[in-house]
Amino acid sequence: MIAVLIRRLLGSLTVLAGVAAVVFAILHLTGDPAAVMLPPDATHEETIAFRHALGFDRPLIVQFGSYALGLAHGDLGDSLRHAKPALGLVLERLPATLALAVFALVVLLVVAIPAGIISAIAPNSPIDWVVRIFALVGQSAPTYWIGLMLILIFGVALGWLPVSGIGGLSHLIMPGITLGLFSAAKVMRLTRAAMLEILGSDYLRTAYAKGLSVPRVILGHGLRNAYIPIVTTVGVEFGTLLSGAIITENIFAWPGIGRLAVQAVAERDFPVVEAVVLVTATIFVIINALVDLSYTALDPRIRYE
Amino acid sequence: MTDDVVRRKRAPNATMLAGGAIVLIVGFIALFAPHLLHVDPNLQDLASTSVPPAFVTGGNAHHLLGTDHLGRDMLARILFGSRIAVIVGLSVVLIGGTIGVSLGLLAGYAGGWVDDAIGRIVDVQLAFPFILLAVALVAVLGSSVTTVIAVLGVTSWVQYVRVVRAETKSLRERDFITAAKATGATNLRIVVKHIVPNITSVVIVLATFEVARAIILESALSFLGLGVPQAIPSWGAMLADGRQFLDTAWWIGTFPGIAIMLTVLGVNIFGDGLRDYVDPR
Amino acid sequence: MRLRPVVFGIALTVATLGSSAAPLRAADPVVTISQGVDADTLSPIRTTNTPTFNVVGNIYDYLAVPEGPDKNTPALAVSWKRISPLVVEYKLRQNVKFSNGDPFTSDDVRFTVEKIKDPAYRSTQTTYVREIVKIETPDPYTVRFFTATPQATLAGIRRAVYIVDAKYWRAHDDKYLEDHPIGTGPYMLKSWKRDEAVELEANPTYWGKAPQVKHVVFKPIPDAAARVAALRTNESDIITNVPPQYVSTLVGGRNTQMASAKSVRLLYIAFNTIQQGPQQNKLVRQALNYALDVPSIVKNVLGGRAYPVPSVIPSNFFGFDEHAVGYTHDLAKAKALLAKAGYPDGKGIDFVINTPDGRYNRDKETAEAVAGQLAQVGVHATVKTNEWANYTAEIAKKHIGPLYLLGWGVPNYDPDGVVTGILTSDAPNSAWSDADFDKTVFAARAELDPVKRKALYAKAQAIAHEEAPWLFLFQFEDLYATSKRIAWQPRGDEYIYAKDISLRS
Repeated sequence: MIAVLIRRLLGSLTVLAGVAAVVFAILHLTGDPAAVMLPPDATHEETIAFRHALGFDRPLIVQFGSYALGLAHGDLGDSLRHAKPALGLVLERLPATLALAVFALVVLLVVAIPAGIISAIAPNSPIDWVVRIFALVGQSAPTYWIGLMLILIFGVALGWLPVSGIGGLSHLIMPGITLGLFSAAKVMRLTRAAMLEILGSDYLRTAYAKGLSVPRVILGHGLRNAYIPIVTTVGVEFGTLLSGAIITENIFAWPGIGRLAVQAVAERDFPVVEAVVLVTATIFVIINALVDLSYTALDPRIRYE
Repeated sequence: MTDDVVRRKRAPNATMLAGGAIVLIVGFIALFAPHLLHVDPNLQDLASTSVPPAFVTGGNAHHLLGTDHLGRDMLARILFGSRIAVIVGLSVVLIGGTIGVSLGLLAGYAGGWVDDAIGRIVDVQLAFPFILLAVALVAVLGSSVTTVIAVLGVTSWVQYVRVVRAETKSLRERDFITAAKATGATNLRIVVKHIVPNITSVVIVLATFEVARAIILESALSFLGLGVPQAIPSWGAMLADGRQFLDTAWWIGTFPGIAIMLTVLGVNIFGDGLRDYVDPR
Repeated sequence: MRLRPVVFGIALTVATLGSSAAPLRAADPVVTISQGVDADTLSPIRTTNTPTFNVVGNIYDYLAVPEGPDKNTPALAVSWKRISPLVVEYKLRQNVKFSNGDPFTSDDVRFTVEKIKDPAYRSTQTTYVREIVKIETPDPYTVRFFTATPQATLAGIRRAVYIVDAKYWRAHDDKYLEDHPIGTGPYMLKSWKRDEAVELEANPTYWGKAPQVKHVVFKPIPDAAARVAALRTNESDIITNVPPQYVSTLVGGRNTQMASAKSVRLLYIAFNTIQQGPQQNKLVRQALNYALDVPSIVKNVLGGRAYPVPSVIPSNFFGFDEHAVGYTHDLAKAKALLAKAGYPDGKGIDFVINTPDGRYNRDKETAEAVAGQLAQVGVHATVKTNEWANYTAEIAKKHIGPLYLLGWGVPNYDPDGVVTGILTSDAPNSAWSDADFDKTVFAARAELDPVKRKALYAKAQAIAHEEAPWLFLFQFEDLYATSKRIAWQPRGDEYIYAKDISLRS
């Protein structure tokens, strides 16, 4: 078991190293922070001097070396714009994004999965149709459109919910729903499909034949077998929620890492972009590891090779 | 199971037909847009901007769906916009599908370190925020339809890898593969003759969902100012523009929104139906 | 990775979710101002972006505040005079204290300029003070700026800079100073949560008239539609960059009203005459200007909220030629010029109009409308949107063309920053060159007699009209909207000074 964990950890580190290298490469393809940071009337000489002060005139391999060295020490450098440690700026905003993603995830678990199950138990019933239509509409409406409609209806017209910023629980509802809707629709469909498949399988028929009650069959046997595809998707979806928060955070002026990322990319604040990407990737990797471990916990037949 | 390819001749179901019909209509409009309406979708008329649709007071018969904020005919733009939806949707699926299926087969069939390596690449891609990739590619390549396709293509392949790998892995252990191996068939032959036919249905279903995703994301890119250039009418860009007119000229954003929703709906329903058809359990 | 603070942070976030943080409104009114982005830093001398200046401008003071052509209101300086062509002397205000009690003296002014020039500090404001070569402080209330060549603009300072407390800055490191501002201005920092809110409160030791609004919050909201919604739901009191199509909604709103000011910012579409193509032909450039109906674009794309400009100098700037006649909409003339240039009916011309998307109000839409109007004389033009950071870098390399849309605003009402920023051969954003134009405007920069200087700029404007380096468009009207409980007149230089806000009872 320990060997498995170590292998798993090494794998995760490889992934993070890969992400770190890719983000460096991509950022340096997008050009140079000096031009966009200086005012537009800066002369060519001023731009060159500033580039030198930032160290962007060094050979790329040298820049990569110092970046990698910093990473190895857990130092992602200072933000070019804010002149503060980049990692600190990201961690400062992480709770807001996590709160949003967790809220969306709770909606997912509490609404989408039960709805998918109910829909599968009674295929073609009115409930099933409502769920299916909701799932289809939810998957075909762009996030920003849903966000703006919610703002107009529940914020401006009805005045029930605040439209911007972070604060009480009421601030969380609209952005949380906006963020979660797409994933909820997806998970709903997936749960329905997975449940349908299992409910139709031979061994559940055997369970019925043995005289087990309907709820026991569904919850005891059905759900347990549908668990793996559902949990896998939920794990991936949480990653999607984290990085998908970008548009939602922009619309609702939510002070999270998505907004920080968009701004940092636009301003070519390389250390901050690197920090956002690495923090997001780390969370993603951790969650996937947890999902994998939970397979073993729930279904002892699954073992690592 | 004696026959190694699951084929069942059945009548197509109703949802599949309904979805297929919508998809066909969109395809038809995309192909014949210039012949359906002889109006230039880019022709501006600053003297008649934001004219409401014909069925609303203030509208007129010249512009059935009204005009946008630059006086361009909404109906013409919606019809021509279907072309971008189709081009983007299909190309993204083609690029993502080809890369994804190949790597998925390789990972699932070869196993071992190949599987591990591909798995790591997939994880790197999944852990990487989409938006950054989009901005970087737009900055390097400039904004164009090709760029949008590239951005969406390189982010969609992972889905195929995951699904195809899992399917291939489970197929590899099945009796008919073992039997084929025993007769001395080459690995390539086994993959092409025995595995590919069995994963086709899963891939097609996944592809239909990815078409829908591509259309939605094209719109999200426009929202962030990274979409297709203005000279080409695209539903995504129209919807993104229209969000500013929700209060004053609802039709500018609503019609492209409906067009996107109907198309995505059609593709999704078709995909659902297709799944039930090829995999009836 | 430091996970502890994150976990703690989540707990804190969740804990605060229960409590409502609604500000006290009735008794001690808070005015909330929403711009698109938050301040980068609260150091007033590091960055050059307007949203940051809007926040720090309430904490710090200039020596003098530019208010109009050759008009500056005394602030930390009470008077100034040119004591020789290369030296300007400032007399400083006495008995001014920073909010920590440190007295304000000439040493602070000198320190500020030197700190900006220090390469290790990595300030992007070096361009603002580039002309200053030497500073003298003969006594605590006198400062002399020396320039290498005569500079007609105030004091040889290209742009005003906020003055920091030298003693305080010497005592702390740069990182600390990023978010611990101490200034002489009307407000002091109360709290700052990045991307969430900057809270300011009135500075009791402020040297000027005490502001009526004691509590100000800057709460950034990136999306324009969401900003409008926040104003309509009373979550904000002032919102910036209102898209013109919301004007009718906000004017008719129960609690909302519009506020606007003629901006210092021009919008124009430059020709890249360095690239090969028809745009290198003067006649083509003139023809395209005649093909445009700018008033119609202003009316239909900007909701009438802009002012066509006939010249390369904004109409509220020093040196603007009141007699300048711009290009008028004349399709016949446009066609005749195109034919004369060898492009009858626009045949053989296929232009790309480059534009940012969302950088300026209706930028992309303006470019689209221009392309639509050029089609009327047969010139084929397509619009291409560009990502901003990439766009500025490529413009500086002169790679963008044949046409590119750009906005330009200099908040000191002096034409030098306009022409040497976007028109002269060596200007970073120019892809056009004319020796006569260059000579004229550089002479104007060094000309200390206002009458002669004005004549030089008139000549420069005439050259630019003839050579048509741009498609001349318009000057913006900056659109703000406010709640009805406040009264406030915006400024043309895009700055927001909260001390100008008054409350309606």
